[in-house]
Amino acid sequence: MVNDGIVMALPKGRILKEVMPMLHAVGIHPEAAFTDESSRALRFSTNVPGLSIIRVRSFDVATFVAFGAAHIGVAGNDVLMEFDYAEIYAPVDLGIGRCRLSVAEPVELTAHDDPKSWSHVRIATKYPGITRRHFAARGVQAECIKLNGAMELAPSLGLCRRIVDLVSTGRTLVENGLAEVEVIAEISSRLIVNRAAYKTRGQELMPWVERFRLLVEERNNAAAA
Amino acid sequence: MSEPLSLGLLPEGLRDVLPPQAEAEARLLRDLLDHLRAHGYERVGTPLIEFEASLTSGFGAARAADLFRLTDPISQRPLAVRSDITGQIARVAATRMAHFARPLRLSYAGPVLRIKGSQLRADRQFSQAGAELIGTDSAAAVAEVAGLAIKGLLDLGLEAVGVDFVLPDLIGRVGIALGMTQAEIAAAAEALDAKDIATVAALPHATVFSALLKAAGEVPSAKALLAATEGMPAIVGDRMGTLAELVAVLPVDPRLSLTVDPGETRGFGYQTWIGFSLFAKGIRGEVGRGGAYVIRRPDGSEEPAVGFSLYLDGLVEAGRGVEVRRRIMVPYGANSDVGTWLRAEGWATVAALEAGDIQAQAKDQRCTHYWDGKTIQPV
Repeated sequence: MVNDGIVMALPKGRILKEVMPMLHAVGIHPEAAFTDESSRALRFSTNVPGLSIIRVRSFDVATFVAFGAAHIGVAGNDVLMEFDYAEIYAPVDLGIGRCRLSVAEPVELTAHDDPKSWSHVRIATKYPGITRRHFAARGVQAECIKLNGAMELAPSLGLCRRIVDLVSTGRTLVENGLAEVEVIAEISSRLIVNRAAYKTRGQELMPWVERFRLLVEERNNAAAA
Repeated sequence: MSEPLSLGLLPEGLRDVLPPQAEAEARLLRDLLDHLRAHGYERVGTPLIEFEASLTSGFGAARAADLFRLTDPISQRPLAVRSDITGQIARVAATRMAHFARPLRLSYAGPVLRIKGSQLRADRQFSQAGAELIGTDSAAAVAEVAGLAIKGLLDLGLEAVGVDFVLPDLIGRVGIALGMTQAEIAAAAEALDAKDIATVAALPHATVFSALLKAAGEVPSAKALLAATEGMPAIVGDRMGTLAELVAVLPVDPRLSLTVDPGETRGFGYQTWIGFSLFAKGIRGEVGRGGAYVIRRPDGSEEPAVGFSLYLDGLVEAGRGVEVRRRIMVPYGANSDVGTWLRAEGWATVAALEAGDIQAQAKDQRCTHYWDGKTIQPV
């Protein structure tokens, strides 16, 4: 498909709430239906001619941008690491949606667990790619059970003993009797750009990248002051 | 026992190509090869399957992970299906054509097979075509090859063609000139490849690397920005000067955009001093790529070369090359002169093999017209 305008892909949910003020700050104001929770529309126009926004699941943001169906977007580096798309550039760390991707296991297991002796672990996760690579790097084979949510249930119901999931406050883990045993990566949301679009439509895209970068820089400076 | 296979089912990433796409692919290929031949590039053919060791060594060395492998029942050696033709051309140039005068200009085309599709395209088999100029990698040679690729794409009638040049060894040389360690250079290259502005700004010699990142864009402005950056190692000015001269002799066309990304190295591990990606409007990802590289000869010596490859499937998928040829149904028993005349007029003639309602026959055979014995009639 050929899009003559620029399409920006944003993730639904928690991250979107943090993205919105940044969007306004760089001068992008989506049409009213965008913030209307009951709207069933998927594609929205903005005050910027030729710039439209799509609202999709966070994993799908990366897919839309990698395939060039969207030119620019916002995605967590958890998603970027999982797919490791060669077609995506991540020029700006927006510093929002901060959390960490961690390994967790039941508290009682931590007492006598000896990670050095593992040759195989079974793990419930939304991130089988990262999980497999992470454990393979230390010589452990990770058998991943792909779940799309409610990972914390898996250990208590005997699906498997360990999970790899995003942790922000750690409250959900505690409530489910789990302890965070290892941090795989620190996560935050990035402004991402499709590689071919970056090369061929740089003049249209770079000003937006630059505005987001300046915004982040100002905010970081303000925080430091 | 596995489930019975549906007769039409093909393995993942493989497909049949039907009319008119099969015709379109053949036409694109013919046009491209004619264009290359007209510029003195001679066609060579290489086998689909080779000894695995030959495919995985030398330039364009196929990544072992891409190869379909089998054991040769005759020699008992491991064989592999080619995943890229460039490496085979390098082998031919280094062995059977080693005694031919340089520069040697060769062209090729054919299907290649990979074990897995890419993230952007599930296809495992696709059609590769290109040209290699062996014996030199001078700016003039690169300009000739890039110019051929550009002209070839423009002649296909594409709305917009983009060529993005990269200088694969530049970051390494800049790092050495600045006295950085290999680990520091690798970290810089990684940050530049991700276009991660904040990380690049935190690198040692950040002004230099930030400028290299920011310079991505049109060649003259990139050159000016880099020249104006303090502390920029001399190699950058040299390379940008060479690139500017090279770009100046490329074809001029309003549909063509020429850019450079001096900080990028990803995906160009085999190229030496210059590489380029080819983009076309309406086609996902790259439509082809090229660059300068080194061919290793059997005696251990090396020779420079430059070339490009296009992947035709993306072009066909985007609807390029489809030509609606007028098809005319000719009745059973018609004078053979009629057919000869119609074909000379550019028609594709479809002969009826038995007498019958010519109009119905024409419709069945997907003809646009029929011959009523005297004149051409639309269906």
